Amino acid sequence: MDDLATYAENTWCPGCGNFGILNAFKKAVRRLEDEGVQRRDIAITAGIGCHAKIFDYLDLSGFYSIHGRSMATAQGMKLANPRLKVVAFAGDGDAYGEGIAHMVFAAKRNADITVIVHNNGIYGLTTGQYTPTSKKGFRGPSTPEGSVEEPFSPLALMLSAGATFAGRGYPGRLDHLADVLARAISHEGFSVVDVLQPCVSFNNTYERYNASVVEIDETPGSFEDAYRLACEFDRLAIGVLWQTEKPVYHKELLQGKVPVEERQSTGQRRQAIAALLQP
Amino acid sequence: MKDSQRFTFLVAGEAGHGVRRSGIVAADLFAEWGRYVFQMDDYQSLIRGGHNFSVVSSSPQPVLSQYLNADLVIALDARSLEKHRQHLSEGGILVYNSDAVDETIPGAIGLPFSSLAKGYSQAALRLGVGAVSVLAARVGMARDALEEFIVREYERDSEGNAAYALSVYDMATAEMGGSVSLARGDAPATLLTGNDAIALGTYAGGLDMYFAYPMTPASSVLHYLAAHAGELGITVVHPESEIAVMNMALGAASVGARTAVGSSGGGVALMEEAMSLAGMSETPIMCILSSRPGPSTGVPTYTAQADLSFALNQGHGEFARIVASPATVEEAYRVAAELMALSWAFQTPSILLTEKHLSESRMTVTLPDLPCQGPEPVLSTNSQDYSRYEDAPDGVSPLRFAPSDSIVKWTSYEHDEKGITTEDPDVITLMQEKRHRKRDSLVEHLKSRSCVKRFGGSGPLIVTYGSTTMSVLEALAYGNLEARVVQPLFLEPFPEWEFADLQGDDAIVVEQSCDGQFTELLRRRTGINVVAAVLQYDGRPFDPEELAGRLKEVL
Repeated sequence: MDDLATYAENTWCPGCGNFGILNAFKKAVRRLEDEGVQRRDIAITAGIGCHAKIFDYLDLSGFYSIHGRSMATAQGMKLANPRLKVVAFAGDGDAYGEGIAHMVFAAKRNADITVIVHNNGIYGLTTGQYTPTSKKGFRGPSTPEGSVEEPFSPLALMLSAGATFAGRGYPGRLDHLADVLARAISHEGFSVVDVLQPCVSFNNTYERYNASVVEIDETPGSFEDAYRLACEFDRLAIGVLWQTEKPVYHKELLQGKVPVEERQSTGQRRQAIAALLQP
Repeated sequence: MKDSQRFTFLVAGEAGHGVRRSGIVAADLFAEWGRYVFQMDDYQSLIRGGHNFSVVSSSPQPVLSQYLNADLVIALDARSLEKHRQHLSEGGILVYNSDAVDETIPGAIGLPFSSLAKGYSQAALRLGVGAVSVLAARVGMARDALEEFIVREYERDSEGNAAYALSVYDMATAEMGGSVSLARGDAPATLLTGNDAIALGTYAGGLDMYFAYPMTPASSVLHYLAAHAGELGITVVHPESEIAVMNMALGAASVGARTAVGSSGGGVALMEEAMSLAGMSETPIMCILSSRPGPSTGVPTYTAQADLSFALNQGHGEFARIVASPATVEEAYRVAAELMALSWAFQTPSILLTEKHLSESRMTVTLPDLPCQGPEPVLSTNSQDYSRYEDAPDGVSPLRFAPSDSIVKWTSYEHDEKGITTEDPDVITLMQEKRHRKRDSLVEHLKSRSCVKRFGGSGPLIVTYGSTTMSVLEALAYGNLEARVVQPLFLEPFPEWEFADLQGDDAIVVEQSCDGQFTELLRRRTGINVVAAVLQYDGRPFDPEELAGRLKEVL
């Protein structure tokens, strides 16, 4: 029996890349448990879209957020209770479109959350419009003549913003993806994993990805090399593209405090107010 | 009729003349003498230049408003002289900066504020110190008392400030030829702005974390809490946008931190999608909405009550919203604390609706020890088979927070009791009705307390709300007018039950809105017959003398 599953009926299309992400994530969770992480300490959040259904399929606590905001929700959860390992699932529309500011700022402040981006280059649940990572010329219901916009490289952007962990994975390489996810969650600081997710209904990229993904064994030693790797479109490096250490946001801000465990008592509040009002 | 004991000080100048600080210091002076104080700052959205003024009214009796006509007007530049020379009360004195004005003004006293400040660093900023010194001379404060007072109030270069103050004081004393004697009173010595009180009330009501992005006139809640975060044992976060503010706050609340957010209309508009998320996910959150004239950017540093409909209807979809609007600084403290409690007891968003006039005006107050904190949140003891959205009879599902052995799922989607997404018509109905029952429970709770305040026992009926209540009460006192004043403290759920005895009565409405949103609300929700509306929508708070005149016409 799969004790990480819920009774929710799975409604992803047969063959969807999300199945691979779900299975890889479960593997990652089990590996983390082997390493001593308690399952109850993992909290998840998700945006809105096909990716987000993963929230219902995982027997983990958390907050099913709204489109583009799971990264903000996750940061709030982490700040209130830094003991939690917080994972935000997001689609490419969530993370790189609607909620891009939260990604940039989470990276900038090195918020200790993990963002797993189900990047399928398509708005699947709204029937196939182009996204920030769709190729120029992409034809969808909102761009019937083909999109006139160039996509950007999300990981290059995240690196520029200061991400201390940038990974890429592919559900077609399940164990490899599980490894990247586990390492991302274990990383202290902001970690993003851009998952190349084929959408069988609107953007079937299995063939292209099977031909172009390359597993990298070693994380580049320099930021410049990592950045160059993140920008490559023809050859898609998968693995941990960049990992470094920087002061972590909640530690700097909270100085070791756990807000939900150190709530002020009524007596303390009374005293603090009286002290403040002392002439 | 003028309260003979009342004394009003008005200081005006450019931004950068220390006008605001001067008003604060004057207010402190009056408060130290046991007088009640109401201080209102009128300033523009700029950092240097322009025109600012601060009005400080004080009396041994409680004062609920600034009076524009002052007993001492100090104009630090030519524009201030032009704008405020007519703002003298009977027997009032006008003092102007003779260095900034070419002509000699008959009946007024010119003092060389700028020349006297020459030789000191940041000479322009000293002018406000000079204004306080003239006040000290006018109200008969002893020379050494002023010196000690200035040293205490102006920490930076207190020596230079004291020397400058005394030079102005000596000249003013000689020029004015005598002083007025101000009666001491026994007013409380604590002076707070509405936003200070809101910040403290939120804390008294259980605040653990405050999230906000700066926007006038709500910013000073953020500044106050950030400045005192250490002493209060709370966490204050200023993220990238109001959207981040609200979503981070909800995330924090979902794991058990009592959170609040605050902004003005534009910022709250950005939070609105997540306000609806709070409604669906049943996440407790308190939002401070401090209004300024809109629409859009509007007039950032002035006052209005034009966000009433916006506040009442925050968030798409149907869910329980709580909106309350305090009248005074003290009430702001109580309401803030109570809204924190109500949001947690009923797991729904609440809005403290206020306006620049209360947020930034400063009053003498006595805060209650700890205000009524209201009902306690319902917590789950079920650690084995927890359901976040259990179909509780009163609609309030017990709370539990991650980490937990039994999982806790909060969600934006319609959901079953466990928090798993549903599209099943029966489950949708169940949950809609559960949330609706929760609103009923909230209404039942509100019926157990007074949600509407009443002042005065006889005379015509005036209905008003928010800080305009203070303007109305002060105007009635000033005009010696008899009226009953009714102020709904809670605006959503609207306490219709407390208006039952007023059905069919004629009433006058006073509000700071052009469209008359509050008038419309009363017409819709009560059987009151609104016969006249006294409206003001120029961004300025009512002046009691002027308002008394307008009320006389309609009473």
